[in-house]
Amino acid sequence: MHKPSCTYVGYAGKYLRVDLGSGTITEHELTNSLAEQFIGGVGIAARILYDAILPGIDPLGDDNKLMFFTGPLEGTMIPTASRIGLYGKSPLTNSFFYSSAGGYFGPELKFAGYDGILIEGVASHPVYLFIDNNIVELRDASHLWGMDTNQVQHAIADELGSEEVRIAAIGPAGERLVRFACVISGCRALGRGGLGAVMGSKKLKAVAVRGSGGVSIPDMRRMRALLDDLFARFSAHPATSEILPRYGTPVLVHANNELGLFGYRNWQDEYFPQAEGLSGETMRKKIVKRDKSCFACPARCSKFSIVGKGMTEGCTVEGPEYEDIFSLGSMCGHNDIEVVAAAERLCDDIGIDAIEAGVAIAFAMECYERGLLSLSETDGLEVRFGRADLIVPLIKKIGLREGRLGNLLAEGVKRAADRIGKGADRFAMQNKGLTFPGHSARGLPGFALGYATGPRGASHHDGRPTGERTGLVKRATIEGKAEYTARINHLMVLLDALILCHLPEGIWGPLDVSELLVRCINTTTGMNMTLQQATTAAERIWNVMRAFAVREGYRREHDRLPPRFMEEPIPSGPSKGMVITRQMLDAMLDDYYTFRGWDVKTGIPTRQKLLELGLEDIAEDMGKY
Amino acid sequence: MNITLKTFATIRDVVGAATLSIELPTGARLSDLFAHLTHTYGKNFDRQVRDQLTGAYVPFLILVNTTPYRSTHDIETPLHDGDVVTIMVPFDGG
Repeated sequence: MHKPSCTYVGYAGKYLRVDLGSGTITEHELTNSLAEQFIGGVGIAARILYDAILPGIDPLGDDNKLMFFTGPLEGTMIPTASRIGLYGKSPLTNSFFYSSAGGYFGPELKFAGYDGILIEGVASHPVYLFIDNNIVELRDASHLWGMDTNQVQHAIADELGSEEVRIAAIGPAGERLVRFACVISGCRALGRGGLGAVMGSKKLKAVAVRGSGGVSIPDMRRMRALLDDLFARFSAHPATSEILPRYGTPVLVHANNELGLFGYRNWQDEYFPQAEGLSGETMRKKIVKRDKSCFACPARCSKFSIVGKGMTEGCTVEGPEYEDIFSLGSMCGHNDIEVVAAAERLCDDIGIDAIEAGVAIAFAMECYERGLLSLSETDGLEVRFGRADLIVPLIKKIGLREGRLGNLLAEGVKRAADRIGKGADRFAMQNKGLTFPGHSARGLPGFALGYATGPRGASHHDGRPTGERTGLVKRATIEGKAEYTARINHLMVLLDALILCHLPEGIWGPLDVSELLVRCINTTTGMNMTLQQATTAAERIWNVMRAFAVREGYRREHDRLPPRFMEEPIPSGPSKGMVITRQMLDAMLDDYYTFRGWDVKTGIPTRQKLLELGLEDIAEDMGKY
Repeated sequence: MNITLKTFATIRDVVGAATLSIELPTGARLSDLFAHLTHTYGKNFDRQVRDQLTGAYVPFLILVNTTPYRSTHDIETPLHDGDVVTIMVPFDGG
């Protein structure tokens, strides 16, 4: 009898490798060593893709590879263990990227018997991958090409004669290689980094999965005790028992704005006097119809909404989330929550990241107002702040690459600024090609360091705003922020390896890898991992991602903030005057690299650190740079 | 002395108003204000700010006028007549 290479429980123990070029589909086993050292999710994907993706390849060319991967907890009843991760080289940042979404796709993949899927090559014509337990096949998707993400999910479900199939699909934006195209599963977005464009470049329209298996647990009595404890904690904490169920993430509009940390008009300010119109309270009153949960989550933070007035009356949407409200509302200088809701729905349907889209529009507004974009370059549109009426039409232009402006912004703000020239890069609010989401850098110094050093660029899920915003650590200081940020990195990346939602971080952490997470790992897998081993695994994953970035040319000089955040103090509001100067950032970077055991001059992980983490091959690689 | 309380989200739902005028004894501290709110609104208020297993305040900021104080460290901060106290929502993520 075949003895599996991964004997830990919780894992399916194997992943699919799909070559779209040849149509070959094979099964590959996980190993105990991979599970112990990289846990799952982003950890296993980063390790596999470090080897599988050669440095310097075109993210939208034949050689990029894409992975869907779950974690060991997916499919259990551990709260928020619902997520699926997507991994590959980003066409936006040119380095390793990952994005994850809740919903039901991740558990379904486990129930079908797989931890993940590695996709390589390019199909000769549009296809979708159908996984029905152990029957896996590529099917023609020529008739689905051109459909939006909502239409295509319905069409595939109809074709398969099953509402129970879970689907992750791209829309027209992914087909047109918009650099921030996303993947949508149900109504949840694998949003950031443009991996939807990678799917489009491979002519892979969708992945559909149906599974009827389960997830084994080593000791059900121990698991029940863990679940009792976890659900008691979720019921006891105000965030997960009261605030998220009632208002969802939009509750942050007031929380950030009242502290003067809410990006407004392309971050020209961080206080929006009319923010009430965008608040979670207003949204609840005006458009929210009911609350929704992802698989195994008691928090019900997702909101199902219907637009009640205007050109988009009747439009339904799961959302909008806080980030959509920030990017498609405040950043563009308007406070119409119904426009935001309709815009967010269009982003999902057309298949683009709503953060990147809104920030790109805000960037265009500032460029137009400063005379860096002419009317002919905006296709005759007066692209000014406050023009709520332009948001939906501009999303359509971007997603379909229509006109000069649509095509320009579809490249993302970094490349758009390079094309415009004339100093437009000053107004491109990005790091490493990824735009800043809706949490202040200037007002949260430790978080600014997280943004600057993030392997994905300006992601709010590498560092976190939470510790400084809630007062767990002192806000207005750079002292101690290097170690604080590195420990938050480890907590975040471990959550992304498991894969768990970051929103209940007050329970999972909140400031470092916790014994509670170690207990989740051990109870599900049967490992005997210690807190130190889990922290080292997180650090190992972080270093693999950094090494990937180093191979692509990223160094200390790329761990930066936009000039606006380093030169222009916040002009008004409760955080008026706060700024992260170059000197402040440099001081934090020195401390951060030192704490991490990286070369302070270059930001490259040292040989000693990589050997300490058991990454001998990567230590050899880094010796070349 | 009289203070003005500004509220958001679920705390606003519990107290029923975006702003409230509250009478407190001279020399009252933030902890007295929270005790007053628990006394007035009962368990419903408590559930918005304290972990129900440990009884401790979860981390959030409280603005007294424009100065932020921490629920976990600064709950004994003295209040003064005319202060505007804003309770930020105890939410971690984003």
